[in-house]
Amino acid sequence: MPPRPDTIIVGAGHNGLVAAAYLAKAGRRVLVLERSEHAGGILRGPVLAEGFRAQGIVPAVGRLRASVVKDLKLAKHGFDAIAPDVRMFAPQPDGSAVTFWGDPNRTSDELRARSPRDAEAFPAFDAKVRAIASFLWFVNAATPPDPKSPSFADAIMGLKLGKALRDMGAKTGREAIRALPMAVADLVQEVFESEAVRGSLVTRGVLFTGMGAWAAGTAAVFLNDSAVPDAGAAGTAVFARGGTEALADALASAARSFGAQIRTAAEVEQIRSTRGRVAGVTLAGGTEIDAELVVSGADPKRTLLLCDPVELGPTLVWQGSNIRQPGATAKVDLALSALPAFTAASEDRLRGRIVIAPSIDDVERAMDAVKYGRIAEEPVLEVTIPSLVDPSLAPEGRHVMSVVFQGAPRLLTDADWASERNRVGDLAVKTLERYAPGLGGLVEALTVTTPEDLEDDYGLTGGHVQHAEPGLDQFFGWRPLNGHARYAFGLPGLYLAGSGAHPGGGITGAPGANAARQILKDLR
Amino acid sequence: MTNRYDAVVIGGGHNGLTAAAYLAKAGRGVVVLERRHVLGGAAVTEEVFPGFRFSVFSYVVSLLRPEIIRELELPRHGLEILPLDGTMTPLEDDYLWRVNDHARTIRELRRWSLADAEAYEEYGQLMVEMARFIKPILSIVPPDPGKISPMDWLPLTGLARSFKDLPKRLQTTFIQLMTMSAADFLDQWFETEPLKATMSASGIIGTFQGPRSPGTAYVLLHHYMGEIDGAFRAWGIPRGGTGGISNAIASAALSLGAEIRTEAPVARVLTKGGRAVGVALESGEEIEASVVLSSLDSRWTFVKLLDDGVLDPDFREEVLRFKYRGSSGKVNLALDGLPELACKPGTGEWLRGAISFSPSLDYMERAYDDAKYGRPSRRPYLDCIIPTLVDPSMAPPGKHVMSCFVQYAPYHLADASEWDDAARTAFGENVIDTLEERFPDIRSKIAHAMFITPKDIEDVTGLSEGNIFQGELSLEQLFFNRPVPGWARYRTPVRDLWMCGSATHPGGGIMGAPGRIAALEVLKEAKRRRRAA
Repeated sequence: MPPRPDTIIVGAGHNGLVAAAYLAKAGRRVLVLERSEHAGGILRGPVLAEGFRAQGIVPAVGRLRASVVKDLKLAKHGFDAIAPDVRMFAPQPDGSAVTFWGDPNRTSDELRARSPRDAEAFPAFDAKVRAIASFLWFVNAATPPDPKSPSFADAIMGLKLGKALRDMGAKTGREAIRALPMAVADLVQEVFESEAVRGSLVTRGVLFTGMGAWAAGTAAVFLNDSAVPDAGAAGTAVFARGGTEALADALASAARSFGAQIRTAAEVEQIRSTRGRVAGVTLAGGTEIDAELVVSGADPKRTLLLCDPVELGPTLVWQGSNIRQPGATAKVDLALSALPAFTAASEDRLRGRIVIAPSIDDVERAMDAVKYGRIAEEPVLEVTIPSLVDPSLAPEGRHVMSVVFQGAPRLLTDADWASERNRVGDLAVKTLERYAPGLGGLVEALTVTTPEDLEDDYGLTGGHVQHAEPGLDQFFGWRPLNGHARYAFGLPGLYLAGSGAHPGGGITGAPGANAARQILKDLR
Repeated sequence: MTNRYDAVVIGGGHNGLTAAAYLAKAGRGVVVLERRHVLGGAAVTEEVFPGFRFSVFSYVVSLLRPEIIRELELPRHGLEILPLDGTMTPLEDDYLWRVNDHARTIRELRRWSLADAEAYEEYGQLMVEMARFIKPILSIVPPDPGKISPMDWLPLTGLARSFKDLPKRLQTTFIQLMTMSAADFLDQWFETEPLKATMSASGIIGTFQGPRSPGTAYVLLHHYMGEIDGAFRAWGIPRGGTGGISNAIASAALSLGAEIRTEAPVARVLTKGGRAVGVALESGEEIEASVVLSSLDSRWTFVKLLDDGVLDPDFREEVLRFKYRGSSGKVNLALDGLPELACKPGTGEWLRGAISFSPSLDYMERAYDDAKYGRPSRRPYLDCIIPTLVDPSMAPPGKHVMSCFVQYAPYHLADASEWDDAARTAFGENVIDTLEERFPDIRSKIAHAMFITPKDIEDVTGLSEGNIFQGELSLEQLFFNRPVPGWARYRTPVRDLWMCGSATHPGGGIMGAPGRIAALEVLKEAKRRRRAA
């Protein structure tokens, strides 16, 4: 019989697994409880068709923190990253296209024919993004300070942050402070003149959020998406061999190797507490499991709902109910009988992210629809064809395609998702047909994951993939709530380790790793 | 007449005049140079139609700093502020009417929502507490985040300490106000649409943002910092229009010994060896001065008034990318009689305050959507007042003037269209159509109408792109970064050239703070140099 756990992890998403692995590695007796049949959370995709393996909700894994890969020995557990030269390919309505490569000079050379000014500006913009991103990399690794009673360690951290800012030089430091609260549209528009370049760049500031390109703070989302070594302005395009599920398996295997137990089909229904302290959990069906620590990989609103509101107190219950989670993203997965023919694209250009966002206005319009509870008729799409870099994902000669559909609000006005589901698939295919004529005829199977599915099947409140909107009001020292940003959450003994905690969403493992570090520190 | 002064102030708006008054008060020989024939800049009253006087651009006052009123003894110079009571939000067949009498407002809110009536009291207290905390920021000289100079950061450490000492509830509110959208912030408290929409309006006035744009909650608070005679959140109209304020400040400046010249447009700032030594007027006349203060926005000051080559190209680049994006216009109406609201007939006290066309958040957001794509709002947000109900001197007996602030009217129109006469007429007529939906008889009362587009604001007052705050009040253009990142301390890269207008911290509105703080900084710097010498 396995040892009695002292630490329970709620949810086996990637952050839950990362936290579990680190805690088990440090000697905690960890039990991970997962509601669904498999570990992996959003790394798990839908069942598509025989022989085809769909990607998870977030198909690219380039932001996974390098220290997590190393500390958890993920390579040993089967994780293998594939990074094609191309980062982003942006086909345009006029049949032309812009390609962003890993090498900014190559991008710049190709831009020259479209706009000499943009070609000239790109390397400097790329360098600026890298500089600010390296500062954010530092911020993201830190536990946010406690504004109420800053400790000595917080003061040291503040000094280090100040130093990191100063080391960038006065000019870049000022630029970082100016850029972070900006709208991504402003950040990009003041540098580039071509709408094709602007539209494709701003997309990274709004993807998986409920915000439009003119919303203040989307520049921070964009820069955060670049906050890994070598992302630059073009962002990352890294795939896990065997698909995102292979990464999920690697994480689970790593956690187990350190001694964590993972129990699937075990839904936590309640986080129990006695005398104001966490005591354990109750599973659906009534089984009670005691533990002195409960670490939640679930989103913050759901986590609070699992607790006894009397123990939390009315203020926290009210604040929790106001955490913003306006999910606006759907996912479409396609099994294709052949590689679709994008106009003006050789195969090597299709290996990264393919972005359909011809202008800032197009991005903004897609998100306007969301404000009024409508599905965008002209959505912003981020498409990946991982079978190009990893043929094992589809039968020979065939392909899997992942489409992130931006412009699908969780709450629809005068409609419901049961009746609108198919329309998302149709709109995605119709939009893509414009850039890859004949794509519709190649579709062998198609699945749609609606924001409602994200909420019901994946447990994401509001259908928000990032657990809490990455707005300036839910950032760093106040993510997800002011006074609850240091991973300890709500009740003594309860911790938050998911994307709702600093530094937020994306397949980074960072909240899980930061939370584990903080928990071990608090235990000392 | 002497052509040499201690200081020359470019622009006779309320900030330029305030700076001049403070310099004169310290014994400096000052001259103010105004391009137009009237003083006041955007705080100006003009008799546009015979017998009808208008606050042509700005229209209400609340933010004017009490220390300026006191130190310049403005009431002695004719400043009188008349109370503006309440806000009426007319709807199709109902209305929401809030007045200064708190109990009455609560009764009215109960009619809409018991929960909102309860939350309203708590909200009001909270905002007043927040405003108390944040007000010191208005008088701080922002430090340069690119440099670590302990003296410059000192005022901020005080602020950081008082932030630390705030109860957590207030800390949270402060963070939310600095980062959230007005709509998200208000959604936490209220459910009544016309209430949320009308309150959100103060978050968007003068900005190119919608109520759902993050960062607009801060502007909500900005408007709570107004006080009149020590009463927070009181709005008023100066007797004689907003030009009354400018005239009072001008009168104070004159009595302290300043000279003021109108119709004296400055063509260039004269520099010698990288420092400002005076100005040249368009007439060719040159005026020497030890310091030059510009109350114009940064684009005017650095791009139009300085010779090429004086500025470092990087700095010039920063100036050029500063955002203006005027978003508002104005419709001024001369009325033969009072119009009546369809939802509340008669001509009672509900017409004495602001009349706000803001029925729902979606209405406001849709108005913004139009502007985002370069069109004036099909149904704009209107903030109307009828000043003659409190100050009958503005119109002939029995007649009225009505001032309608209109948002949005984007300076940059789609498809490279221009703000020509046809566009102006279409804009104005659309506003009157919008008014007519709530005031069905308004057309029959209009004797004259004046339509002001953002282009007109730019042409008449010189405010770039018609931005009434001399630069968009977005988060990245506040505090440290206003008017140019790294140059928020009223100084400029040109020695002895200073900025003193709304372009500088703490920003726009008829507040006078930038003019005052800049003048005090000029005096401090002179003292420092004297001591060093």
